[in-house]
Amino acid sequence: MNPAPRCPTTACAPPGGPPPRRGPAGAWRALARNRMALGGLVFFAAFAAFAAFGLWATGGRAPLFDPARVRLEERLRPPLAPVSPAADPEGAPPFGRYLLGTDDLGRDLFARMLEGAWVSLTVGFIAVGISVAVGILAGGIAGCWGRRPVRRGTGLAAAALAAGAVLAAGGQAAAGLLLIAAGLLCGLRGRLGRLRPRPGPRREEGWLERPLLDVDALIMRLVDILLCFPTFFLILTVVALLPPSMVTIMVVIGLTSWEGTARLVRAELLSLREREFVDAARALGVGGVRLLVRHLLPNAMAPVLVTATLGIASAILTESALSFLGFGVPPPHATWGNLLADGRRYLFDAPWLTLVPGGAILVVVLAFNLFGEGLRDLLNPQARDRR
Amino acid sequence: MGTRRLLLGLPLAIGAVLLQSVLWVPTYEEQARGNPARLEEFIQASIGDAAVLNPILSTDSASAEIEQLVFEGLLDRDERLALRGRLAESWTVREEAYFHVAAEPGEAGAQAERIAALLHGLRARPAGLSPPVRAALENIRGIEIEPARDETRTIADSSGREVRLRIAAPPRIRLLLERVDPDLFAHLETLLGEGVFLRFRPEAHLETDPPLAPEEKARLARAALPPVEHNPVIEFRLRPGLTFHDGRPVTAEDVRFTWQAVVDPRNLSPRASDFEPVKEVRVPDPLTAVVVYKRLHAPALASWTLGLLPRHRLDAEALRREALAAGKDPASFGIRQSRFNREPVGCGPFVFREWKSDRFIRLERFENYFEGPPEYRRFSYRILPDLLTQEMEFYAGTIDAYAVQPHQVARLSRDPRFQHFSGTSFAYTYIGYNLRRPPFDDPRVRRALGLAVPVERIIEAVLYGQAERTSGPFPLQTPFYNRDVASLPYDPAAARRLLEEAGWRPGPDGVLEKGGRGLRFTLITNSGNDIRKSILTIVQDAWKRIGVAVQTDLVEWSVFIRERIHRLDFDAVVLGWSMGVEPDLHPIWHSSQTGPNQLNFVGYRHPEADALITRIREEYDPERQAALCRRLHARIAEDQPVTFLYAGKWTAVLDRRIVIRERDAHGDIRHRPIEPTPTGNYRFHFNRWVKLPARPVFAAP
Amino acid sequence: MTAFIARSLIEKLVTLFFVTVVSFLIVHLAPGEPAQVDPLNPKFTPEMVERFRQAFHLDRPLPVQYALFYRDLFTGRSVSWKDHRPVLEKIAERFRNSLPLFVVGTLLTWTLAFPVGIRAAVGRGGAFDRGTAFLAYLLISIPGFFFAYLLILAVVSAFSVPVLGMETFGFEGAPLLNRANDRIWHLLLPSVLGAGSGIAVLSRYVRSQMLEVAHQDFIRTARAKGLPEETVLYKHALRNALLPFITMFGLTLPGLVGGSVIIESIFSWPGLGRMAYEAILARDYPVILTLNFIAAVLVLLGTLLSDLLYAAADPRIRLA
Repeated sequence: MNPAPRCPTTACAPPGGPPPRRGPAGAWRALARNRMALGGLVFFAAFAAFAAFGLWATGGRAPLFDPARVRLEERLRPPLAPVSPAADPEGAPPFGRYLLGTDDLGRDLFARMLEGAWVSLTVGFIAVGISVAVGILAGGIAGCWGRRPVRRGTGLAAAALAAGAVLAAGGQAAAGLLLIAAGLLCGLRGRLGRLRPRPGPRREEGWLERPLLDVDALIMRLVDILLCFPTFFLILTVVALLPPSMVTIMVVIGLTSWEGTARLVRAELLSLREREFVDAARALGVGGVRLLVRHLLPNAMAPVLVTATLGIASAILTESALSFLGFGVPPPHATWGNLLADGRRYLFDAPWLTLVPGGAILVVVLAFNLFGEGLRDLLNPQARDRR
Repeated sequence: MGTRRLLLGLPLAIGAVLLQSVLWVPTYEEQARGNPARLEEFIQASIGDAAVLNPILSTDSASAEIEQLVFEGLLDRDERLALRGRLAESWTVREEAYFHVAAEPGEAGAQAERIAALLHGLRARPAGLSPPVRAALENIRGIEIEPARDETRTIADSSGREVRLRIAAPPRIRLLLERVDPDLFAHLETLLGEGVFLRFRPEAHLETDPPLAPEEKARLARAALPPVEHNPVIEFRLRPGLTFHDGRPVTAEDVRFTWQAVVDPRNLSPRASDFEPVKEVRVPDPLTAVVVYKRLHAPALASWTLGLLPRHRLDAEALRREALAAGKDPASFGIRQSRFNREPVGCGPFVFREWKSDRFIRLERFENYFEGPPEYRRFSYRILPDLLTQEMEFYAGTIDAYAVQPHQVARLSRDPRFQHFSGTSFAYTYIGYNLRRPPFDDPRVRRALGLAVPVERIIEAVLYGQAERTSGPFPLQTPFYNRDVASLPYDPAAARRLLEEAGWRPGPDGVLEKGGRGLRFTLITNSGNDIRKSILTIVQDAWKRIGVAVQTDLVEWSVFIRERIHRLDFDAVVLGWSMGVEPDLHPIWHSSQTGPNQLNFVGYRHPEADALITRIREEYDPERQAALCRRLHARIAEDQPVTFLYAGKWTAVLDRRIVIRERDAHGDIRHRPIEPTPTGNYRFHFNRWVKLPARPVFAAP
Repeated sequence: MTAFIARSLIEKLVTLFFVTVVSFLIVHLAPGEPAQVDPLNPKFTPEMVERFRQAFHLDRPLPVQYALFYRDLFTGRSVSWKDHRPVLEKIAERFRNSLPLFVVGTLLTWTLAFPVGIRAAVGRGGAFDRGTAFLAYLLISIPGFFFAYLLILAVVSAFSVPVLGMETFGFEGAPLLNRANDRIWHLLLPSVLGAGSGIAVLSRYVRSQMLEVAHQDFIRTARAKGLPEETVLYKHALRNALLPFITMFGLTLPGLVGGSVIIESIFSWPGLGRMAYEAILARDYPVILTLNFIAAVLVLLGTLLSDLLYAAADPRIRLA
């Protein structure tokens, strides 16, 4: 796949004050004018309702729709097919019909879609939650405390710790532990050294005290390293090599997609920091974490929200691509992605097994994308006016 | 203005260039149906590419399929799975047996003479001996005395230290037997005295450097100077006039070279364990190869179905030349590095032509094949990694054979354009239990679990009838399979009763309990196998109905093997074994193979089974071997260490225009439809297959 | 300028080092063994497995394995564990197959995105704008393999021409022109699929850039001067809107070793993506790590290139 160029969010606000916020009424009017975004929101709401209904209808001891009920005599029934009178009435779906047909084991596709909606939604939200959390953390640190230096001693300690951990994991327990101990010692010494009151004029800095690079550069180098890996292959490698589980997939998708958020948050913070309202807050004695959490981050959230919405869409797609290769969320969880991937074997025999989940994914991802774009325009009045 | 034109014109131009190309592409009609050259080519689709085209190195099925056509072994299997000669015109199996005689120092020679004379005498006048002993004596063709010899060799002891052995072997007796006789020494003992062979003390004839503890020394001595030794001998007579594809003659030297290449540790051949028991290969003349084995090893003969390697391409001299030509270091250049693995030369029915990685492998028929050239001119192996697109290409007629999925068979069999075959495969699928863990140490629980699995339903629903119920560890179509052993019926009520008998009572949540412990466990299998995944789902559902709470898990193959199977960390698994024709169950069922990293991971132990397994390995007589196998089958089925589910059926779908062409004595051509052999191999007459321009009509038989 | 290049080269080398360490650790610390060591084959004795591990240096400590691997990589001696062929030779072979796909895909993306994006920006809010916007989102939202199957089925049933593989099988004897066109045809579907989301994203970006520029003062000035709309749009606006795309062009470089597993599997295209995928499954570490190394080098080169291009194109930026 050719690398899709990323859309940078253009966030421009009048210089000086905090970016303008709008009342809910204004937002609603703006949304109502953008019909595609509104459509996206409606579909999104419908999807969420469907997923919530699914959680209720497929869970419990005797679910209304049982996605795990195997009815071998009713395999590959087309949508709306009635339950055959000869079949075992126990576990048959309500209404006496298979709304979306059945799969190769006679499981009700509608029930599976219901269950899968919730799982897909969970995968999307948690993966993006992880990515946003890591991104805000990294971007926040870089944007706020980016000019703090990382001392050579600290770097050395971190290197020793990391090397030690690797050695320990790779089987050289003794050498590894030795290095870890050395790293800890090195780090602690630096800390203690700084705590000790320093009488008199500033001493000449020792070699270990000299700055190596600043925090901002460190975090940006980390982002660079991550960008050097082709994302999908990185995900694939990790998912293929680790034992498959839903948690692995969510964490891996989350941890490989935070660099965009981090960059965004950092850029926003850097521009916000120069504004007068921040100076005002500083003058009032607000500082450090409080300044970041109360004043800076809320104002930087808008573009993050947009990336998050688009991120959920891409997480659902990534999961379905992994399912195609057989590395999706493992059973017993059904996701729309693995329903689609499993259904393709029967494309000629039971096309609904492909078309239903495929169409559903298309619609939901489209809704997320449209809504995300709408949100971007909404949160960025200038761009909206230009429409 | 210019920019605008450029911006609009460029994509239009590119689009036009791209789209016009469709006019030049031959449609499926032109390619597949209206193309006479297509009739002379057989195109097979495969999901994966071959890895190495060298029969002694490859382990994947794609490579094996090509190797089967390019290479030829000394033997192969006929319609009824009996061995038949290919490169070997004929072969004989005999035995050389040795034994040492216990004697005072310096007396050994004389003692050996005495015993030889005694045996000669008994052979001449066998009156009064029991029939088996008499038969054993009649089997002896010659009695010789091997003179004493001195030898020095260096080996590694149990701790890996190097030890020099100075052996002063006393004379010993050599018996030449017409047939292999595993009971020979047992019979001789009845004549020469109970325990006569144990009286020989090998450690008295050997010194070690450095000196070792007595037990260690005795162990090494037994290995270096065994009191008795069976040396089965196979003598192959090669067909005269055979050549490799490059025109060089096939000789017995190639047989010896193939053996050497397999056992050479540098080559890391996965077939090494088959040839490890070979002691030496003698070549008395270019068309005779005499293979001598170190010990009784009945599967030995079948290992010579391995494709023969051309010595002149791969011996040390050829490899050195190749390394120098490629500018590489000859010292680190072995068979694994050679170009041969991508451009193989064999003596099979097809000649290798071209291999484009992950695209195709192309073969052409060998005009000098000893049975006459195949009817098809070309054989192509196309790599199409997606099952769905394989199916599409098959409909379009651009491939002739592909891996048909069970659910497609029903639809394709209704299509008048196609003929289809199916036969039982050599693989079976089972649910294995970790017998070390409760509750699986109780055979009643295992039987109950087996009774609750609706195997017939699985076969019908998941495999679309493309499988056969199996009750034991041998392939269904071999004589080793015991048809008298019935497979477990589906009877959940009986399963419940059995569990109740074993002390399991329903708990408050419906799950069976015994001693406060619920009947809960995890059933796992490897990911990537849709059929096993479906079985997992069905079995979970079925066991839930008798009150067993089962969790399921799919694990990626490599992790599955390394972390779960090899560490013996599992409750129950759904897995399959792919068996060979040879009935050697030692690695899978013998109690010595139950450790970590070994294949008897379910942990089956039974003394009777152990004895049978060992005996089967040493039995050269096919009839007796089959009888032993059937007993072993019954034994294992009785214990139910695993629930045997089914043996899968392979299915093949072919165009109806493909038929077998035969020429009778007058050279007249006659066509007949393709029929699978009694053991279900539809490809058996592949070399005689031909594709006709129109669908033939055959009179009903 | 030279100082900038030198400094960023050093920076990138350091990054590259860390990338090699991280990727090495990922593949080596993950559970599982190379597929060559098939432990469930009854013919593999434990001694055999051990000998395989020795041959692949798997029994050595990790740092030694790391050093050995990168020594082999730089001296061109590393071989694939699957078939003992030199890794670089294998990659070069696949690269030649993937290259046309990349070229046609990029060509389609870049030539189509601009006219579509500009037209959408000019007729902002109109039917064309909304139509292409919806189409663009549709292209981004569709699961790739689902789309591929639908497309293949549609084309095969409509034209009955082959679409799989790099060329029609058995077409080697045809005249050169036919063969060339046959190859182009086989390129078309997979590259359209690969370019689909790229076209969508890029055309939206072109549109927003054009709108961004259209509101700036110099455009208003140009209009006020009475210049024809043509000239304003294509000469003044477009040129300035183009700037960010120059950086993007550098970033397409890593796509050279990208390649989509899914599209390549469905279209039976023997490209790099599929090889990487199979290498991952078989845990063919030399191939995985080499590919990763090349990808990282291309990413780093791409960013450097785009920095330089940007500086060259925009006189306001000076690298120091």
